[in-house]
This record gives sequence, structure tokens and C-alpha cells, in this order.
Amino acid sequence: MAVKIEDYNTNIKNTWCPGCGNFSIHMALKQAFVELNLTPSEIVITFDIGCNGNGVDDIEGNRFKGLHGRSVPLAIGAHLANSKMKVIADIGDGGCLHEGVDHLIHAIRSNYDITILIHNNQNFALTTGQATSTTKEEKPMYAFPDGKAEGSINIGELVLSLNPTFFARGYSNDPKQLTEILKQGMNHKGCSVIEVMQICPTYNPQSNHDWFKERIAQSAIKSTISEAVATVKDTEKIYTGIIYQNRNRPDFLNNLENRKSKKTELVDEVKQVDIKSLLSSFK
Amino acid sequence: MKNRFAIKFAGQSGQGVNTLGELLAKSIKNSGYQTFAYREYPSIIKGGYASYQIDFSNTEILASTKQFNILVSLASEALHKYIFGLNKGGIVVHSVNDFDFTQEEIEYIKENKIEVVYIDIEAIAEENKAPKIMGNVILLSYVWSLLAFDLRVLEKVVKDTFKNKNIDMEAEIRCLKAGYSYEKPKGYNLNIDIPKVKGNWSNSLLLTANDAISLGAISAGCRAYYAYPMTPSTSILQTLGKTYMKTGMLVKQAESEITAAQLVMGSMYMGTRAFTATSGGGFDLMSETISCAGITETPLLIVLGQRSGPGTGVPTWTGASDLNAALYTGHGEFPRCVLSCSDANDAYELIQRAFNIAEKYQIPVILLTEKQSAESLFNVRDIPKAIKIERSLKEGKERYEITESGISPRWIPSKGKPTYLVNSDEHTPDGVSTEEPAEIVRMSEKRMRKLLTLKEDLPEPIYWGSKDAKKVFVGFGTTKNTILEVMKENEDIAYLQYQYIYPLKFEKILSLEEEGKSLILIENNQNGEFGQLVKKESGYEFKEKLFKFDSRPFFVEDILDFLKS
Repeated sequence: MAVKIEDYNTNIKNTWCPGCGNFSIHMALKQAFVELNLTPSEIVITFDIGCNGNGVDDIEGNRFKGLHGRSVPLAIGAHLANSKMKVIADIGDGGCLHEGVDHLIHAIRSNYDITILIHNNQNFALTTGQATSTTKEEKPMYAFPDGKAEGSINIGELVLSLNPTFFARGYSNDPKQLTEILKQGMNHKGCSVIEVMQICPTYNPQSNHDWFKERIAQSAIKSTISEAVATVKDTEKIYTGIIYQNRNRPDFLNNLENRKSKKTELVDEVKQVDIKSLLSSFK
Repeated sequence: MKNRFAIKFAGQSGQGVNTLGELLAKSIKNSGYQTFAYREYPSIIKGGYASYQIDFSNTEILASTKQFNILVSLASEALHKYIFGLNKGGIVVHSVNDFDFTQEEIEYIKENKIEVVYIDIEAIAEENKAPKIMGNVILLSYVWSLLAFDLRVLEKVVKDTFKNKNIDMEAEIRCLKAGYSYEKPKGYNLNIDIPKVKGNWSNSLLLTANDAISLGAISAGCRAYYAYPMTPSTSILQTLGKTYMKTGMLVKQAESEITAAQLVMGSMYMGTRAFTATSGGGFDLMSETISCAGITETPLLIVLGQRSGPGTGVPTWTGASDLNAALYTGHGEFPRCVLSCSDANDAYELIQRAFNIAEKYQIPVILLTEKQSAESLFNVRDIPKAIKIERSLKEGKERYEITESGISPRWIPSKGKPTYLVNSDEHTPDGVSTEEPAEIVRMSEKRMRKLLTLKEDLPEPIYWGSKDAKKVFVGFGTTKNTILEVMKENEDIAYLQYQYIYPLKFEKILSLEEEGKSLILIENNQNGEFGQLVKKESGYEFKEKLFKFDSRPFFVEDILDFLKS
């Protein structure tokens, strides 16, 4: 039986602001699952704390809403236990670049076969608009009317500095392109990092659709990291699309000497083990 | 004390003291004695002073004496440090060129009729065409000759230990023989008159509690181990890593303790068995995950290897001052279970029980060890019988169904199974977030009811010793071991051991008090954290207390002195 978009809908009342970019991100996510013919029971989404996390009851599937900054390691734990599941770590720019930035770095380095979906709305929105590493430096924010004193982080540049195997950028007002990116990301065997430029009408109204429309441009896939870096650092345009992909590096589980040829998953293997053969080295 | 003998190997960190100690422990064990090996070492790679003490006896031996009969030292600092630990009539063997004892040390040596033997091990190694480092085994086999044990036993252990290492085995054996035949002080006789253990003791096992935890976890079907290195829990990573080709277990060094705990939670949620181990500082980092596992009702298992002091403290020394951290860490109110092991035997059992409890009750479980148990070598005849795996998985309509026992159905997310939402926001039975007061109360009460159900399920504390004993020590962890040693010659004392600390079953304490026993709280910490828990739960306050918090374990003499006073 074909999977339908309705399979992913819930009847829980949504709490996002009107015009929030999260609506179309979820639309694209559901559409991608449908097009990949994945039933809700075959996917796992770990949610962070933030506006993105408040979407946990808007979508069907195996879902775990954990702690701020931790959706990535939680997703990795789930993936390692059962790699047959399609695992997505859903996180905002705040949780990803602040509380949980070490997890992002090591997930890319380890190349776990998961998808990290970063909602980049350029602020901590759920706590009413504090600055993040992606907020424009001069922009007045909560408690700092003269803008932030710190510099910024370009997500693409950070990710590409870590020798990733997949980096893509989407835009929340282009769910069609985002669906395609999500499908490619989920099919990628390794850690796929997808940054979504997201509209936040409440705390970042300056960066509205008109603002983005002038800057968004599609990029073709780049064959080298340095070309990809130049693309994401462009000061005039915000390039979207699959910007970099390396299919040659094995993912973490296929790099593990004692697991790579295993046909079973850790979740299938929980049973009593006779340890007698291990005791000789203790005699 | 009768029928026990102690040898201390000492030197700088990095000189091979551990290897010598392990070889000796194994060889003594293979000669038919029960052994206990205790390590002291600084938190540095080279220098300082480190030691490895082996106590042996004809019966089970679980703790060290402060004093010893033979001191072997490779370095001057360790000689000065440990010389006063020698018993009357003891012997010190060392390889330190141009070494001078202080006046005070000379007097101690004279007064206690201690023999001093210097061996130029480098020269002997050279004579035997062996590299300098093999001088170490010359000391080892010299000690072996002092003990008048069979050289073949030692030779076999050395051969087995180094068979896969790239060393000149023939040179090694020449050194062993040279050390064994090295001249002994005239008329010196150790007179070791300890009967041997009956039966073939050489097949018995030498295990740290960390080894036992690793083996117990493998036995219990644990399929993933995630950890960040931290003394004294680090060697679990080593034991599981060294065996992972055989077991197929996923062994992963995480980038932080936060990650390690989250990986465990993610894997347990997904339906496998996983755990992590750390010490106090790493445990602090895990506290948010413990709280998250509490509200999401996800099984979580953490081994907390205690060392002493806050902050970095005294990182390679022992203590039991993290009980409060285990009991109270994590924000909000949620049920948890805290266990404590004392030696290799109960570590093996408790890690298996811990998995069952974590899964059945869907709560965080913390298993306490101490440096003293985690890294000391216990000698056991065999590993106890494996404990049956109980996962208590059950498919249901709602993941957080309100039940009398507090336990809701939990099933493994998988293709074709009903999906559910696991939520760290307070939630209704279907997992959906709620801020409604009545719903909040209903769900909080359901969760907390698991604690009562669990308490009913937990075994009573273990009473060690004679029913007629007048004095009963009460405590947890390795304090049991030292009391059991003293008990061998003192039937007047007993020990009440708490392996299952929380939820606390305090009734036995009250009944012992009613029987007129004199109860003594014993803890390897400053404030008596277990005593505080007993008071909080039962109202009972211990009148007599014995605390030690100098980062050393309780030695046999500590108890003897206490009983005298």
C-alpha cells in the first residue's frame, strides 16, 4: 500500500506563528517520506527544544523530543541501535551551534548515517528572540539593543571545514526544492547535513520573503570542498541546493571492524551470552 | 592476623609496577593461594610513586592490610614512602643505586629487624645478555625465591603473559633464573606457613569489578557501550574493546560524557541494551540526561566509579563520596534506582540486575563502584550463574498509560508497529505535551508510583556474620570487604551490606536496633551520605560512625584500631 501524506498528519493543534517557515519545512519533510515510500513506523525523528521541537506532535512517526542541543547524539544512539530506521535529527540554529555544537562536529567527523536538519531562523525564537551565531551582528536582539558583540558562524562554512560527506542548503519558502534535498539527504549513506534558511516573521521580520527572494539562487553541486566553501560564503547570494557530496567515504557502522559484516541490528541481538570463552585471559 | 601475607611492589609511575604486580598476583594464585591485589598510583604518566600490593591467604581475601612483609622498590621516592609500612622481620629489596636511608628510616629498620637487599639488576641483566628493562623480572624472581615457591609456576605465567609480545623470551627466562638464584641474606627465613586452597585453584579468576561489570554486561545481552575515559571507570572501555571481535558489541568512545549518556538513551529507546561508565565529573555532565530519561521513561544505565574529592579531587585514589550525586542529581522529581557493588562477584551480578531494573521500570539506574573495587584485583573461583534477562516489553495502546504499578507499556519501535511520541515535555498518556494541572499531577504520580513498586521488588540488604555478633557495621561498597577480613578473627562483629541503596529498604536496620545490636555506620566519605539517606527515609540516626576520607580505602588495621578504641 502506497504511503500517503495523510499518514504523516496528526490532529494535534499546531502552535507556530502564522507565516512561520516551519510549516513548509514539515510539508517538505512529509512529502519526502511519502516519495521515499517510508511509513511512519520506519522513521525516527529526534527533536530539539525550540520552535522546531514544538512541531513534534505535528508529524507522525517514531518521535523523541529530548533536550536542548541534544537531538544529534540522541539520533545517533537510535541509529546505531537500528540502522534500518531512517533517522533524522531535527534542530535549530541555536541548539545546533550553541549548546550542541560539539555534537554536530563529531557527527560529521564520524559520518554516522543520519540526517541532521538545521532550521536556521537566525535566532532563539522560542525564548523570544535572542541572538544566535547566525543573527546579523548589528541587529538589535533581546537584551542587546545595539546588536551582539560576538561574531557569526556560517553553517555551511563550518560544516565544510569538517570534511563532510553531504551538505545541502534549502529555503523554507521553496518546499519543492527542499523535498528533493531531503530525499537525497536521507538516501545518502553517511551524515547528511541540511541547513534550511527559515523565515521567522516574529523575531526576524526583516528577513522576509522579499528579502530572501533577492538573494536566493540555486547552485549546482560542487566537486571540491573549496568550491563548495566559496559557494556558501558568497556575500551577494544565498546559494541553495545540494552543495557538496562525497559518496566514497564509508559511514561509521561500515567502518567498524567488528560490525561491518553483521546482518543483524543491535536491537535484534539482545539475548543471554555465554561468557565462558572470554574467561581464559582472566585466569 | 593469621594466615595472611602481603607483598608490596613499588616504583615510579611508568616503571612497570603494574605488570610486575599482575605477574606476581597470577603466580601466587596459580601456586594455590587466594589473592587480593590493590593498586596505588598518581595521576601522572611518569614519576611520583606507584605501588601494587598483593595480599594472599588460604581463604577468600577482599582487602589489604596497611602493613606488609616484603617491599620491593624500583625507585628511591617509593622506598622512602613505603619503608615504614614493613612489618617486624620484613625485608626490603630494591634496585636503587647509591641509595641512602634517612636516620629515622635506619632506626626503624634496626628496631624492626628488617633486612635490606640491594640488587644491581642492570648489571645482572647485562651479564645475562638481556635488555635493562628485564631487570624488573630479576626482582620478581628474587621475591619468588624468598617465598620459596616453585620457579616453574612463575616461569609459566611470564611465558603466557608475554607470548604475543615482541620480546626475547630466552633472555627473559635467563633473568628469571638469575634472580631466583641470587644470594639471600644469611639465616633469613620468611616461614610462610599458610595452607593452600583445596582443589585446582590455578583455574580461578582474577577480576577487577570493572572486568566483572564488562563480563556481566556481555552476559546480559548488552550490545553497545559508549564512554569517555575517566579514572576509575576507564578500563571497562578496554575490556569491552579487547573482546569486541568475539562479542560483536558496539564499543564507542564518545566526544563527551553528555554524548555518551545521550547515545545510551537513544539506543535504549530504540530497543537494544546499552550503558556507559564514568566518574563524578563525567557523571555531573550526564545529569540532564538522567532527568530526561526520568520524564521520558527511557531505560538508562550508568556506572559511576567513585574517586575522592570535588572538582578534579584526588583522581586516582578511592572514596565513596558520590552517593548523594547518584541519589539527587538531575532537575525535577522522578524515580531512579541506585545500586552499589563491593567486589567482582557482586559487580557481575548487579550490572545484570541493573539492566533488568532499567528496562522493567523504564528509569535511570546508577551502579556505584569505587576506585577500590573498580581497579583492585579480586580472586574468585568462578563467575556466578548468569541472571535471566527480563525486558518486560509489552505492546499497548498508549505509551504512557496510567497504571496502578506506575509501569506503562513499552515496545520497541519497528516497522509495522504502532508509533509513539516520547516526550521530555510533561505529557498526557499519548505522549502529547500538556500544561494542564490535573494532567501534570496524574502523570507525575504515575511515574513516582514506580518507586513503590520497585521497592517491593528489591531484595533485602545482606547480613554478613554471626547472628550473635554484638556490633553490626552498616554501609555500602568496599567497606564490606575490610569488615569481612576482620570478621575472620572476630565473631563479635557483623556487616549489613546495602547493594540496593535506593529506593531504600531500611526495615532491617530498625529491627537490628530493636534486637539491641550496637550499629555502626561505616563510610568512605566525610559526611556519612548513606547515614543521611537512612535518616531521611526512616528517621533513624546512627549513634556510632566510622568515616574515612583521606582518599585511601579502609585497611584491616583501621577497623582493628577502631574496635580497640
